[in-house]
Order: sequence, then C-alpha cells, then structure tokens
Amino acid sequence: MFRVMAEDAFEAVVAAHHAEIHRYLVRVTARASDADDLSQETFLRAFRAHRSLPADANRRAWLFAIATNLFRNHFRNEKRRRLAYTAAGAQMSTSDHGRPDGRVLAGEAGAVVDRVVAALPLKQRLAFTMRKMHELEYDAIGRSLDCSAESARAHVFQALRKIRRGLDDLAPVKTELTP
Amino acid sequence: MTLARPTCREIEPDLVALAAGEALPAAAAIVETHVAACPPCRNELAQYRAIEGLVGELRHAPLSDADPMLARAHLESRLADLRSRMVSFGLFSSPLGPILIARSELGVSMVEYLDSEAAESRLARLVGSNAIESRAQTEALYRELDDYLHGRRTRLDWPLDLRWARSDFQRRVLETTSRLPYGAVTSYGHIAREIGAPSATRAVAQALRWNPVPIAIPCHRVIGSEGDLTGYAGDKVDLKQRLLALEGVPLVTHGAGRVMRRAMYVRYQAGSEYCIPSCGELPTTPLAELTLYGSRERAEAAGLAPCSSCRPDLHPVLHP
Repeated sequence: MFRVMAEDAFEAVVAAHHAEIHRYLVRVTARASDADDLSQETFLRAFRAHRSLPADANRRAWLFAIATNLFRNHFRNEKRRRLAYTAAGAQMSTSDHGRPDGRVLAGEAGAVVDRVVAALPLKQRLAFTMRKMHELEYDAIGRSLDCSAESARAHVFQALRKIRRGLDDLAPVKTELTP
Repeated sequence: MTLARPTCREIEPDLVALAAGEALPAAAAIVETHVAACPPCRNELAQYRAIEGLVGELRHAPLSDADPMLARAHLESRLADLRSRMVSFGLFSSPLGPILIARSELGVSMVEYLDSEAAESRLARLVGSNAIESRAQTEALYRELDDYLHGRRTRLDWPLDLRWARSDFQRRVLETTSRLPYGAVTSYGHIAREIGAPSATRAVAQALRWNPVPIAIPCHRVIGSEGDLTGYAGDKVDLKQRLLALEGVPLVTHGAGRVMRRAMYVRYQAGSEYCIPSCGELPTTPLAELTLYGSRERAEAAGLAPCSSCRPDLHPVLHP
C-alpha cells in the first residue's frame, strides 16, 4: 500500500539517464570524483523537482540542463580557486582538462582534438560535448546554456573551426584528398 | 541557373554543417557544387569530415577511470534517505471540515483540522520542508477516513510515522493512546498511570494536545477526570463530541460536554472483565483507574468478559 508511485517513476528516470549524465560530467570535469558529486547533486535536485515537471517534458534534456548549471557553478568556483596558483595554474589548465582517465585516441590528430576541446571557452566546450558526444538537440543545448538554439549551434561550429585550425598547425590529417 | 557563384567564405558555414551531417538539402547541394569546382574548399570539407570521424572515435572511447555504478550506488542511498524524509499531503473536505493528511514513506505523519491558526502554521512548516501536495498519495487514506467518519469502519490500521513527535514521552503517550479501543474512553490520569508516570496527568494532556495524527491516534477518547471532555485540537471540542457520539459513547452535550459515566460499562484497571457502572466500589473509583465502554459490544470487542458478580450480560445498562 505504501509504495509511492511518483517515486517509482523517478527510479525509472535514474535508470534511464544516470549513466549518461555521469559520463557527460566525467567528460567536462577534470576529476572523476567531481563528476560523481555533480551527478549525484543533479539527480537529487531532479528528484525534488520532477513531480512538478509536465508528463511530456524531455527529461533527458532537463537533466542535462541541471547538470550543466551545476557544472558551470562548480567550474566558476574551481577557477577562482585556481587563480591562486598563477603559473602553476597555467600548467594545470592544459593537463587538467586533458584526459583525466588516461584514455588515448589513436594518432596525433585525436590528441589535437582533445587538446583543442580542453582549451575551448566554457560554453563552446559544453556545447561541443553535448552535441558531439551526446548528440543532444540544439534547443536542448541552448536551454542548458541559457542561449538560443542558434547560438548553441554557433558554439559547436566555433569549436569545430578551432579543431580544424588546430589540425592545420599539425601534420595534415590523412584524408582521401584528391589533387 | 547559376547566378553569382557563392564565395568560399559564404559557403563556409554550410560546408561545416554538411560535414556534420546537419546541412539542409538545398544548402548541401550548393556546397557540393562549389567544392566540385574549388579544390581548397574540397580539402576543407574533407578535413571537417575527418574531424567528424575523430569525434566519433572520441564519443565511443571508454571513460576508463569513471565508475558510474559506484556513483549510482551512492546516489541511490542518498535518494533513499531523502525519500524517507519526504512527505506527500492531500487536502480534503471531510464531514468534520477541511482536513489535511500527510504521509511519508514510513506511514501517516500528520492529520490536521485546517481551520485553526495552529494548523495553518503546521501546514506551512510542512510545505517548507520536503512536502509535496499529492492527492494520489493520500486519497486512499482519505477514503478510509471517510468510511470511518461514516461508521463504515471502526479502525484505521495505518502505519504511522511518529518521527516528528516532540519527545520520547510524547511518543509513549501516543502509543498508549493508540491502544484505546473504539467506543471506549478513559482519562488523562489513566494514560499517565499506564506509562508509569501517574503524576504526569497535565503533561499527558499537553502531549495529546499536540497529537500529530488525531483520529488515527484516538486522543478524542481521552477525557478529564470528571468525565468532562476538556478540549480537543485547540477549540474543537465539538469534533470530540461528534467522534465519540459516532462510536456510541453516551454524552451530555451542553457546554464542553461530558460522558455519561453512569450509562457506561466499566473495566477496572487492567482487568479482563467489564461491569455495570454500579458494581461494587466502581461509582466512587477515580476515572484514572477505569476504562469506560459505550456498549457491551464494544467491551466484548475489546476482549472483555462480563463480570461474574454484576452480570452486565443479564442486567444491561439502560441508556437514558
């Protein structure tokens, strides 16, 4: 008699989306432990709010928006903390945003993508990650970043252009380039 | 018709979109036409397509040091904790007036008559905590309460969540009171004796004044030492009269009202029998040592046998 239906519905939300939101946060944070904390906080907030969510709301996009907001706050705090380090901070910002997990992409080109993405301005980096790693719609990305779908798309394209230039600085990528 | 050929710069956004698989068909056609005649842009398109390939690899690369299962386990335990604190509440128009029922995962945590100031402040406190209005969660409870208030059931076997009780003392008072059967009344002094604090009559009355779950814990069955109804839920002694009348307790209803002790069957202390009110010393025994029943049925439903000397089964009390 005392099983709570609305909460069961939330269990389904956790089951459907936790792994992906966690993966997203692992990608955008420097440390897996931060991703653990932020994903937990994302779902605790979602739990408090989900009953007032319309039945047909896009829960995945909504969770990305919560996670993104939490991460941006977290990032601001981290940045403030990091400013205290000056020179050491500059070194950290490249290594820190690299692959925290030691994941290696085949070839130098992959490393360039990684490096360029890590150095992107925050909104571009988040838009790029949501679009290219999680294939979110632009309007959902816009909602996460408090901007229009058009701006979200512009952020992603800016990121692609920077990657493109990054590859130019390196040996050219092997392509089926015809003379 | 080929008017002015778009410049490389003009097609660049559509070229990036085409590589990403997002270009509209018309734009894609323009880019295709352009790159067919423009080797540098052809190269650009190939480069952007290569980037899409790299990005695809990145998307599928495992995130090796992340442990989503562990993170999920932590989340589940936090959620379980949060859930146990959450309450759902519903507002209903009962025969006794507007009423609020709130419940947590553990059980019913609050029943409140809503038109007193005190009740409003408690409701405000609920809403301020992790409380969510949910008729769905409370409707079944209300239906049982409605059955009870219409005499279609004599028990509310609700699991109760008394974590918000003010003290262990209050919890003991509430638990003892919850054992008072339907159709029976006793005094605050009796409850005080039962919990082993015979001098704590006033504290018992105070504890019941703040009963978080009236009706479910039948504090309306607890009365003054002279059989007077004293108070109920602030200034709602009329509700106490109605609840007792519903259970067949004979009442004098003028003023605050009182139970008609001389019209009720009596159990002495924790005895196993019930008597007529004039049996032996009973007429002069303090109410703190007695439990009164509105009818023989109620006394027998509570598991009592008729007294072998006064024989209430042969000489029933006549209601005036």
